[in-house]
Amino acid sequence: MRENIVITGIGILSPLRPFEGTGSFWQALCSGEDTIKIMKPPFLDLGKWPMAAIDTGAFPEQINMEDKIGFLAQEAMKMAIADSGLDMTSILNECKAGLTLGTVLGNILYKEARTISPDLTKGGNNRVEDITGYDDSLSGIASGLALKHGLNGPVFTVSTACASGTDAVGIACRKIISGRADIMFAGGMDILSDFAIAGFNSLQAITTDKVRPFDRNRNGLALGEGAAFMVLESEKNALRRKAEIYGRVIGYAARSDANHLTGPHRDGRGLASAIQAAISDAQIPNNRIDYINAHGTGTPYNDLMETKALKSAFGDLAYDIPVSSTKSMLGHSFGAAGVIEAICCLLAIKDGIIPPTINYHDKDPECDLNYTPNVAVEKSVRTSMSMSAGFGGQNSVILLAAP
Amino acid sequence: MKNVITGKSRINANKLDEVMAMLSERTRSFRFVHDLERFTVAAIELLLKDAGIPVPAGTKDIALYLGIDNAVEDIKNEFWGNIVKDGILGASPLLFPFTSPNALAAQATIVLDIRGESIVSPVKSSIDSVIAYADECMSENYISMAIAGGIISPDVKSDERAPDYQADFFFIENPESARNRDARIYGSVQEVCA
Repeated sequence: MRENIVITGIGILSPLRPFEGTGSFWQALCSGEDTIKIMKPPFLDLGKWPMAAIDTGAFPEQINMEDKIGFLAQEAMKMAIADSGLDMTSILNECKAGLTLGTVLGNILYKEARTISPDLTKGGNNRVEDITGYDDSLSGIASGLALKHGLNGPVFTVSTACASGTDAVGIACRKIISGRADIMFAGGMDILSDFAIAGFNSLQAITTDKVRPFDRNRNGLALGEGAAFMVLESEKNALRRKAEIYGRVIGYAARSDANHLTGPHRDGRGLASAIQAAISDAQIPNNRIDYINAHGTGTPYNDLMETKALKSAFGDLAYDIPVSSTKSMLGHSFGAAGVIEAICCLLAIKDGIIPPTINYHDKDPECDLNYTPNVAVEKSVRTSMSMSAGFGGQNSVILLAAP
Repeated sequence: MKNVITGKSRINANKLDEVMAMLSERTRSFRFVHDLERFTVAAIELLLKDAGIPVPAGTKDIALYLGIDNAVEDIKNEFWGNIVKDGILGASPLLFPFTSPNALAAQATIVLDIRGESIVSPVKSSIDSVIAYADECMSENYISMAIAGGIISPDVKSDERAPDYQADFFFIENPESARNRDARIYGSVQEVCA
């Protein structure tokens, strides 16, 4: 019998009501609050772009730009730990606790800052090291967080493009199931940067309008940023310490399109395969899914591909399952997105509310599922699914269920 | 039962042209953008040949676990340097996808048609941890065959020639799968990868 994995803590820092708590985030999300504004990237004069940024003024203390992502990751993890009720000192004497972190660009702003201020050399900034002990390597923040909390289990940084966060959760679950850990902190993070803005603009992927996932007039994504963590543990460990349980992770799978480096497989072959494999992993029938949090970037190809993948995986049932894209409000935060969206699935289960897809006005004849347009819907949700797709044909799916 | 190694490959970037001559027409005719992707695909095709897996694989039964250390930083530095120099128009749409560490693994899945899960860990000395993870996934029956390994950057770069990256890959299989297809077995994962 496989170990049941439960979620006992969540922490989320996104452009939506950052540092105001998860309840405030969720309330604003379900109200359809749009965080995307036209702004300049952090360092270079690259023009103005639609972005969902965490205003530096919202931070509880003054933060250098290059310290932002380390601080967000650290605080999101701290929120999740506090939410779980874990006493880190005693728990590490009793359990193996590890960490997985999904990211695409890591602390890319450290690289950018060093261009602007060459004196800011690796190892030369005490403030950076005081926060998490990181440098500009992709694994630096995971290592720094593990060190800071004295974790005694596996530490794994995963970088699978925009599926990184979902894979971080999936890998964390597997580490518990295999007995390598009793508790895992699964996180995702990424930060807005000149690097990403210039890159996505070069691919003509950034919207010139609002982000309108699944709408006929959608024309691109807006970049976002954030960090989010979940505390995952074996059910027996959670019950032993009488922890409050948000829900369970019941299935996970990842598949490759094996098709194209930047574009998704046009029929959603890899994503459909990942959905089917995750459902098979969960050992539940297709008709048990009550809500789907889509990758929903707002690009013409992604949203059509996702729609086709859902139809391929669910058949006619696809028309009955509410789908929504929270990226319509939060932008696309790459490595953070998968964990943020898994938390949205969990909160949908907890509160019986499905967050909306905002800016949805004109139906696309080819995207004809129920995308929860503009207004949240109250519905009992027992099982939900979060999907991520990324460059290189990465497709990852996670299934969550009520306790 | 312990998982086994049924294929191995190790190549160095400065021998890439010699290796390319040994590869399939599909791989040789693929339009690569960056030398590192050609290098990664070459190492993985050699591995599949050594393991007796036909190319293209065309299956979701094979997973790919890639560890990559600083190699991706070289690509990122090149991409970023162009932006600093030429502004927004300096951003190369051809190079940008390769700044994501999973791009090298992704090109291997595309060229060699590998449709299973593909996980990339961008950590120094991550080859050991991706091999361990592949072994765990197989032991828990999530997968039955896996490519696991990575790209190692040289410690010191010469200014005069391209960095001499090294690729090390292993084909890991559960013993039943190996026996069923009559594969050559090098030894257990622990024995071979120690």
